[in-house]
This record gives sequence, C-alpha cells and structure tokens, in this order.
Amino acid sequence: MTLQVTRRQFFKLGAAGMATSSMAMMGFAPDAAQASIRHFKLTGAKITRNICTYCSVGCGMLLYSRGDGSINSTDDIYHVEGDPDHPVSRGSLCPKGAGVLDFIKSESRLSHPEVREPGSSEWKRISWDDALDRIARHMKDDRDANFETHDENGNLVNRWLSTGFLAASATTNETAYLTHKIVRNLGILSFDNQARV
Amino acid sequence: MKHSDSKDNVEHSYGSAPVGIMDPPAVVLPENSVFSKRAKRLRELSGRVASLRDFLGFMARVALAQHQVLASRTPEWLPDSSAFELALEHNMAPLGIHALRRDIDWQTELTAILDALELHVGQAQRPLLIRLRELNSASLDALADDVLEGRPGPEKLRGLMPLVASALQVTWVRMTQALPRPPKRPPHEARSLCPCCGSAPVASVIHIDGKRSGVRYLHCGICATEWYLERAKCSVCDRSDDLNYLGLEDEAGKAVLPMQAETCGDCQSYLKIVSREWNAGADPLADDLASLALDLMLGEEGKFQRSGFNPMLIAGE
Repeated sequence: MTLQVTRRQFFKLGAAGMATSSMAMMGFAPDAAQASIRHFKLTGAKITRNICTYCSVGCGMLLYSRGDGSINSTDDIYHVEGDPDHPVSRGSLCPKGAGVLDFIKSESRLSHPEVREPGSSEWKRISWDDALDRIARHMKDDRDANFETHDENGNLVNRWLSTGFLAASATTNETAYLTHKIVRNLGILSFDNQARV
Repeated sequence: MKHSDSKDNVEHSYGSAPVGIMDPPAVVLPENSVFSKRAKRLRELSGRVASLRDFLGFMARVALAQHQVLASRTPEWLPDSSAFELALEHNMAPLGIHALRRDIDWQTELTAILDALELHVGQAQRPLLIRLRELNSASLDALADDVLEGRPGPEKLRGLMPLVASALQVTWVRMTQALPRPPKRPPHEARSLCPCCGSAPVASVIHIDGKRSGVRYLHCGICATEWYLERAKCSVCDRSDDLNYLGLEDEAGKAVLPMQAETCGDCQSYLKIVSREWNAGADPLADDLASLALDLMLGEEGKFQRSGFNPMLIAGE
C-alpha cells in the first residue's frame, strides 16, 4: 500500500461538544437535535464492485447489500447499478445486466454441484471435492482412452479430440491465461468461450 | 419525444447517439447560483427537520444574504486571471487559503453580508451582528484563521465564526469565478483536498445529470468547488476494503434524509455522502447540517471520526 500523504484533520461533532458549539452560541439550543436521535435507527449497507457475469464486455457493477458481514449472516443484495467509474462501461448496463438482481435471487439458481448419474433421472447434490474428483476421473479416463500422439500420416499431433472445454466470460486476464494453459497442455482442441454465446 | 442538444450527441454516419458518461469533468467550479440553491434547500430542510427548524431557517437566511452579496457587489480588487496560470500549469491550488488569506479583502464582504441580514434576523441572533461589527480588523482576521484552519476557536467568539465563514465562502466563490479554467484533477497524494483552495471537503455528492449520472464528487466547504473521486472508496485513506454506508431510519423504517455516512474501518473515519438520486435539490453543505443527528449517533458510538469540514457548524472542545 502506498502511503497516503494527507492533511485531513478530524472534527468532533458529538453530544459533548454541542453545548459549546457555534450553533448553541448563536442562540439555537441543541437539545432538540440531541433528543431526536432517540427516534432514529442506524442502518448499514455495503457497496461492492464487481464485473457483470454475462458476457465478455465485462461491465462494471456496484452491488448494494445489507447485513453485518458476520459469519452466521448472509449479506442480502438489494440493488445493482452500473459502476460509473468503470473504464469499459462508464455506468452503463444492458437490460440483461441491469436485471442481474433477479438472476442473483432466482429460486432456480444453481448454487452447489449436482450430479445425474447414468441411468438415473434424479439430480443429486454432491460436495465440491466430490464434483472435482469425478470430473478429474472422467477426464483422465477419456484422455487415456482417446489421446492421439500421431495422425494417420504419422505426423506428431499430441491431441485429445473427444473432450471439449467451455470457459466463462467474466474472467480476469490472469484467469483466462491459466485456463488457456491448462486446456492446451492437456491437448484439448475444442475450446470455446461462453462470451460468444 | 424531446431531443437533447446536438452537442450532447455523437454524430455517426448512420445518425447520432447520446454520449452518456464518457468523460466526467475532473473538477467543477461553483455556479453563481450556488448560494441561492443552498438557501432554497436549507429552507426546505428547515421545514422537514423539526429539531433544527430555527437553526436551518437562519442558515437559509445567511445563504440568501451570501447570494445577494455575491451577485450585487463588485470587489475593488481581484487577482488578474493571468495570475493563476502558473499555479494551474503546475497542479497547485490556484486559490490556496494560506497564500491568498492576507491579500484578499474578505471583511468588506462580511460587512455586506451583515447589512443584507440586518432586517431579517430574530432577537436572539441580533447580538451576533452587533458584536461582529464591533470587532476590530485584527480580531476578525484571527477568527478567519481559526475558521480556515478548522480550529474550534475561542469559546466566547465561536458563535460568530459561521458568519465569518459565510464571508470567506463568498470571497472564495467569487475568486473561482475569476479563474480562466478549472484546475486539473489533484495529484494522487492530494486527492482528498480541494484543488482550488486546499480545504477539506464537507461531504460527497452523487450527481444525476446526464454526463455524470451516478458519479461522486467531493464538495469544498469553503469555495464550493467539486472534484471527482471514485465511488466506494475512502476519501481519507484511499482504501475500499471495509466501507460501510450508515444512514438514519425513522421509527417507520423510512430513510430520514438522502444522507449517509461513508465509514471506513481501516482508518476509522467517515465522510457523509448525499445522493441527488434520492433528492434532486440536495446540497452537500445544507444536508450535512440537517443530518446532525447522524453525527451525534456516530459520536455516541465512538468508532469513527468525522473528516468532513463544515465551517457553518463548529463544535466545542
């Protein structure tokens, strides 16, 4: 973190200083203002920067949430707007992005891994570890069975054509780089991005 | 359907399109209606916030006097507009409160404000005007120093300081009108201080006009200049990790004013932020005064220190 050189000073505006404040000295009793706070309640909200999840434009978003951030409470997002400081979108959102609150709160939104095993008609909830293990197992088996080192003319190809990979669009440059490295290192050629959808 | 001015549109070979917020101005100098708009807002707030009715009513009267003085007087001396070139070129505040304090005749602006107020103040406030007229030039200058430095000043004279501040505000707003162009965005180290006069901001304001809809500006408590700062970021320490927006709700669960405190857990300070999205006429300085209850509640909680500088309300020690 860079050191912020600041000349900012702080001002006490609490109950203690009100009796000798300029307001009181001007002849306006601060008592009523001090008593009025009994009728009010402090409410908190957070604003979090994020990137729209939908397409490769990557518009900036401000997510407004309520909640105290403690472990046992879930922050409740109640408003989403375009981030006016974002260099790409300057506060604009397309209708799909502007409606993202309904996506966040959708009852059918998938929030955990599920599996429908062969022959079954039921989706079953599984853990993330289980899901990743199963995916890795499928990939390994398929790659072992179908990886080609040479084509029919004897040229060296080292390719894996029986599995494809679809990457998400709301990613940083770093995530995109890693995704590309992993996929290409495995020999996968069918590689696309959800941003084109 | 109403079409906006052609200058607000980008022309393409296939037609024209509105530009939206492509490049919000970094620094905006005050309009010459700044005090009349503030007076209007203060009057409105005086009707809405019962516990501060008389105080806000008086402040509305002061703002109106400021407007009259700004509009009607021609000062004997103002710096030549070429005098600011060097400062503007090198990103220095052209109207620095320390640099110009001794050169500028703010005391005749004060006399003009007192004249404008003369027939409009109640019995309780009349002594303020009389005492200010009795003070000699050196005592007034000392009070002006206290105001500009953000000090609480001597207790016996503290009630006079907001009126001194009102004259300093007129003096500095008048000088901003003489600037050939607004200063550039302040350099990173000085981003929380006014690029015109170097004072601390009174509060943030979120604008709603087309070219800067939703964009946040800091508002200077002395010269009313506004300068850009990214949303959701602490104006004191520059961090954004632990910000919380605290507002006041009444017993029915309704927000009391379009004002929140942007509190920062990293440096334990807060600056109020007012949104014109909630109330188009909201004024950072006026709404700051009207939301005194928010300061009092935060003061009671004791977790965050106030960084907003409002010379129209100076707390005792």
